[in-house]
Amino acid sequence: MPQVLVNPMNEAAAAAQAPAPRLASLEGRRLALLDISKPGGSVFLDHLEQALRERYQVAEVLRERKPTFTKPAPAGVLGRLISAKPDAVIEALAD
Amino acid sequence: MVHAPLFSLLSARIGSPSLLFFFETDCPTCRLATPYLNRLHEAAGGPVIGVSQDGDAETARFVEQLGVRFPVYVDRGWEVSRAYNPQTAPTLYLVGTSGGIEATLEGFDKGELNSLAAKLGYKAQRLAGEFDGAPSSKPGCMSRHLEPQAAVPAAGPIDIAPERGKRASHILLEDAQDPYEYCMRAFGDPLPVVPPTPERVDRMLRATSLGPEQVIGLVPPCYGAATVEKIAANAVMAGCEPPMMRVLIPLIRAACDERFNLHGIQATTHFATPLILVNGPVRRELGFACAGNVFSNVTRANSTLGRAFQLILTNLGGARPGQIDMSTLGHPGKFSYCIAENEEASPWEPYRAGSAITLFAADPPRGVSEHTARSGKVLLKAICATLATVWSWRVCMTPEAFVILCPEHAETLRRDRFSKRDVRDFLFENTGVPLGAYEEEDGGEGTQPRSTYEEVTIGGERNYRKFRAPESIHIVVAGGTAGKFSAVIGSWATGPRGSQVVTYPIE
Repeated sequence: MPQVLVNPMNEAAAAAQAPAPRLASLEGRRLALLDISKPGGSVFLDHLEQALRERYQVAEVLRERKPTFTKPAPAGVLGRLISAKPDAVIEALAD
Repeated sequence: MVHAPLFSLLSARIGSPSLLFFFETDCPTCRLATPYLNRLHEAAGGPVIGVSQDGDAETARFVEQLGVRFPVYVDRGWEVSRAYNPQTAPTLYLVGTSGGIEATLEGFDKGELNSLAAKLGYKAQRLAGEFDGAPSSKPGCMSRHLEPQAAVPAAGPIDIAPERGKRASHILLEDAQDPYEYCMRAFGDPLPVVPPTPERVDRMLRATSLGPEQVIGLVPPCYGAATVEKIAANAVMAGCEPPMMRVLIPLIRAACDERFNLHGIQATTHFATPLILVNGPVRRELGFACAGNVFSNVTRANSTLGRAFQLILTNLGGARPGQIDMSTLGHPGKFSYCIAENEEASPWEPYRAGSAITLFAADPPRGVSEHTARSGKVLLKAICATLATVWSWRVCMTPEAFVILCPEHAETLRRDRFSKRDVRDFLFENTGVPLGAYEEEDGGEGTQPRSTYEEVTIGGERNYRKFRAPESIHIVVAGGTAGKFSAVIGSWATGPRGSQVVTYPIE
């Protein structure tokens, strides 16, 4: 006689998402930087933006900012990022 | 009064009041509103008409996922949407018997929803209760017909407000397998747990009138459905007795309340974990400890409620240490962190009147010893010194704190005629960080935002005020009657951009 247990775990299956295709080069691309609004994040991202433009010839850098790092990005921020159709998004931590 | 443009489903109801519900299938606020409209539709004679701004397939999925029980019109090409021109989804239009639009509700708002329900003759208690786990209001999304590029939703949206979940699956173990060993490895904390056999889970389920499939909340950050059955299985594992279901149900509702922001608490590298505070007659009814050793392994009620909660957070919420929970140092309260207020030994009103649970995103407790103070003021100064260092010594304005006063300290304060509010206000007025601590401009944490701090004089010295408001300090009396030890518990991020303290009544 096998012993029976009630499964106490979350049983919802998460659909696996394949990573987006990698960019072969950054040159001439449109990138977006998502600032999660941690202290010092904008300082770090300003330098990153400069490096992307000068060293990697990125054509355009879009900036978006979450209102708080403690919560997932609200629909408005995600919607603006998606509708801008950048070639890649860098979600940036800080501290 | 604006006349409501007619379309097929509305034409069929001429002469009866209708409630039009414009929705998008991927809009979290529309999903939040749907279960209320289901109930209203059934209780008020079928007035609700859904108008979906998405296609057949998405609408069918929405109807199935949320168990929609009102008729839905699929608004292909947004003709009806253009005629009504809602700015957001959801928007509700109350169409009166004369065919005029008598009321409009944009987004979700419990108060306004209740008044719409009343106009439709909804006679049960209020449709949207204060303590059902949903926020009191939530803005919607831009109406689909106004979006610059109408995109079909790409990924399947999270169903944020399902009413019913699936029954739990069963796990079969070979006879030779030790169930204790198996459960400890598969879903322990990771100490041994009581194996959740169907018989034990059934005993737990018989202690509540709610059905096993009913969803109490989706537990962040992975949003696993806390059905009554899953809560019961974790309660069995933690060693709870069946009557504890009475506390676990509102506890999970409170934890999933958006204001508490469990998502952030479970995902942060900070120490924080929820502290459970129990108030009211339920303490005696279920045997919660509020006196000696209140923070430790003193009674089954405190230990098992706190443990069941933590098991639910990891097994259903998915914040397992080393995986999603990447806390730097963690927190001993992640085994169990549950206290009750010693209302009998308190000279003041309780933290909350009646049976209730309160949740606070909390640091571990820090002790404050004060055995020789003869006056309330001297005692409170000792507490101020510890309060001044919560979060970090030069960080002001953002933290909150719970101050757990032991009965002897509370008695000293009572003798000096401090009310509970006097205590809180004294702590607020006298907790600060000396300006000298900021002189070196060394870039340390808390030094950058000092232009937002408030300068005050404390004991003749210039200080920045530590807390933003007296309400940031919460006073509770707990602990044994011997020993003059109180405790200060700091917070995680607070306010609307962090975690807000939530209190839910226990029925």
